[in-house]
Amino acid sequence: MTALTALPNVLSSKQNSPSAASGPALRIVIVGHVDHGKSTLIGRLFFDTGRIPRERQEEIERTCREQGRPFELAYLMDALEEEREQNVTIDTTQSRFASSRRPYVIIDAPGHREFLKNMVTGASEADAALLIVDGVEGVREQTRRHAYLLALLGVRRVISVINKLDTLGFDRARFDAVEEETRHFLRSVGVDAQYVIPISARQGDNVVRRSQATPWYEGPTVLEALDAFEAVTGDGDRPLRLPIQDVYRWDELRRYVGRIEGGVLRRGDPVRFLPSGRTSRVRTIERWPSAGETEARAGLCVGVTLTDEVFVEPGEVLARQGDEPERATELTASLFWMGRSPIAVGDVVGFKIGTADAIATVVALEERIDSTTLEVVERYAERLAECEVGRVVLRLDRPIAADRFDVNPRLGRFVLVSAGVVSGGGIVRELRDERGAGVRTVRLDGLLATDATGVVIDLRAEAGELDLVAGDGLLARLGSGERLTVLVSGLTPLRALVRWAYEHFVSFECNRELEGARVILRGRRLGTASEQFTAGPGI
Amino acid sequence: MNPNDAHLDALESQTIYVFREAYRRFESLAMLWSIGKDSTAMLWVARKAFFGRIPFPLVHVDTRKKYPEMLAFRDRITHEWGLELIVGENTEALQNDMGPHMGRFECCTALKTKALQTVLDERGFKGVFLGIRRDEEGSRAKERVFSPRDRNFQWNFKDQPPELWDQFNTAFGSETHVRIHPILHWTELDIWRYVQREKIPLCDLYFARDGARFRSLGCMPCCAPTVSTATTVEAIIAELEQTKTPERAGRAQDHEKAYMMQKLRSLGYM
Repeated sequence: MTALTALPNVLSSKQNSPSAASGPALRIVIVGHVDHGKSTLIGRLFFDTGRIPRERQEEIERTCREQGRPFELAYLMDALEEEREQNVTIDTTQSRFASSRRPYVIIDAPGHREFLKNMVTGASEADAALLIVDGVEGVREQTRRHAYLLALLGVRRVISVINKLDTLGFDRARFDAVEEETRHFLRSVGVDAQYVIPISARQGDNVVRRSQATPWYEGPTVLEALDAFEAVTGDGDRPLRLPIQDVYRWDELRRYVGRIEGGVLRRGDPVRFLPSGRTSRVRTIERWPSAGETEARAGLCVGVTLTDEVFVEPGEVLARQGDEPERATELTASLFWMGRSPIAVGDVVGFKIGTADAIATVVALEERIDSTTLEVVERYAERLAECEVGRVVLRLDRPIAADRFDVNPRLGRFVLVSAGVVSGGGIVRELRDERGAGVRTVRLDGLLATDATGVVIDLRAEAGELDLVAGDGLLARLGSGERLTVLVSGLTPLRALVRWAYEHFVSFECNRELEGARVILRGRRLGTASEQFTAGPGI
Repeated sequence: MNPNDAHLDALESQTIYVFREAYRRFESLAMLWSIGKDSTAMLWVARKAFFGRIPFPLVHVDTRKKYPEMLAFRDRITHEWGLELIVGENTEALQNDMGPHMGRFECCTALKTKALQTVLDERGFKGVFLGIRRDEEGSRAKERVFSPRDRNFQWNFKDQPPELWDQFNTAFGSETHVRIHPILHWTELDIWRYVQREKIPLCDLYFARDGARFRSLGCMPCCAPTVSTATTVEAIIAELEQTKTPERAGRAQDHEKAYMMQKLRSLGYM
């Protein structure tokens, strides 16, 4: 297997047929098992679309002859010296060709397991994918892994090509069998291959030229199938989502900037920011030098001013009132881990979704999945190793706004950051907001009462997330040995109470009762009185 | 909408997104401005990203071998657009008469890479915008949008962190600086179509005079014009749609020896 990598070096920069090369390019990623013929297929696409000049082809044929090796298309793709040594593609690279319909960018993704993060980098920006399967070997480990990642990355337009049919005498029965195997597997990961095409990349059958050797095949060639894809995203039809990237306070204006990730933004729209819940109305839409746009569509970077001065931080999502993303502090997701060291339950990692950052704690690894067989290898696993896939529950240190991936992919995918680098990619399956309407701040002093058992604080009316505060007076009373009973109902307020007690060096005794818990708090002398109730380390 | 317009909008939008992301994440930024078409078009997009202003300085690495037309253009635009310009150079190497006669690799490394490194070190810039494009040449095709360089300025292209869904790696150690590539995804033709649509001013050398023009600009000793009669942006676009010659054919450092560009770039060249 050799590499496509250095094409821009080997080739002239523009060898497209003159009629093409205008308009937006379709970005395609080519994936598949090592040695199933990716580079040869790319070489064939380049040759047969006129991307490689005749002289260059002849020169390579001559070099190969002189060195006594057979001419291979893939050899041409092999230009960086490191790659020659290793004989594998070392990174994602991009190169271009064009059909008569439009230009294409090929994102090359390597087949070797250790380079998967490059494949993910490449495939994450692809509009469509070509999955190559060796007709002799059929679906193999990396075929399965790559197909699974295509599903995970949300690449839905997939063409599968069954290669090396020349070595099988273009046997229809064999093609049918591999097609069935491939389709079956793709369906199981939720990918529907729009086309499955019998080819020989080496000879060029059904790549750009229709083959005479497959009279039984009536579908399109690879290039025809690619040309049939429409480069539409559908993002404009979704609800309005404008994740706020930054707020610029210049020119006596407060401009909220970001890229519209879905829907259409219109002047005068009533909007709400999530997770803060603040509302306002769009006053202007700015795209310098114009400050007078009446609307802007998905994909555009804009600046927005509002009719009110609202305090909004980067990371919030602007949406039209009534059609909003979810607010969440916990989520369940499918995760592909790319970190060098495993990720384990209890780990704390960076979390980035849209323009928002948070700190995530791995609460559970509900499933560890073998991405080559899709079998659940382990339930409630301890850790996920590099290149493993799992179903994970993450708890965030602050609320974020997001959509489920199936509702809006652009706001339903996130990355995890470990040791300063992006180490995992995930898609959101479920979102939960444990805080309900938000955090309530409760002053314990204000709730002091007495009953037959002594001093009591009744928190049973609280069900959501609490931020408990107490004055020095209350802490001093606890420190002097007074006992305080707190009545709670539900785990969330109980957790808040435990946190408060821990942070204030207050001892804690919990008695479970039929409808909640009776918690007894008692201060503890740690040293001198003045040191007693200084706040402990936060949790 | 015209598909070309939508295409240019998408390119521009991606570039603005990268600019704003870098501005949000880095405390001290600078932009390398070679005075060429790419970095000048990139500068134009930066003005869009920041509503007409450039909230960081521009760095021009002067090798003292640039065309006078380039310097005149630089000074005119700096004035007209109200830019903060830092001119960097490797004074010591210039005093020692560094030039391509001492070897092209050595000359590029001393007068460009080293000079840039000095400016970044002195001013403590943590992120620097560069107008490179993936379609220019092979090693640039491998680049990430946010690409760290270690303390010695070196680029480890074999082990780059993944970059997906526009969630960039922006937190690196204090000893690294990060190359940020806002126009990595553009092609030469994209640049010219954008220059045409936005009416961006460019250095005169790009336009044909006496049957030749520069397609890629650099230092005088290592830069050759190409045969051309294209005197307007429209004519250049028409020419590029037909050409079989690579963009950097006139740039000597690309052809000096095998993998020279990759070696130059792994040591910190732009």
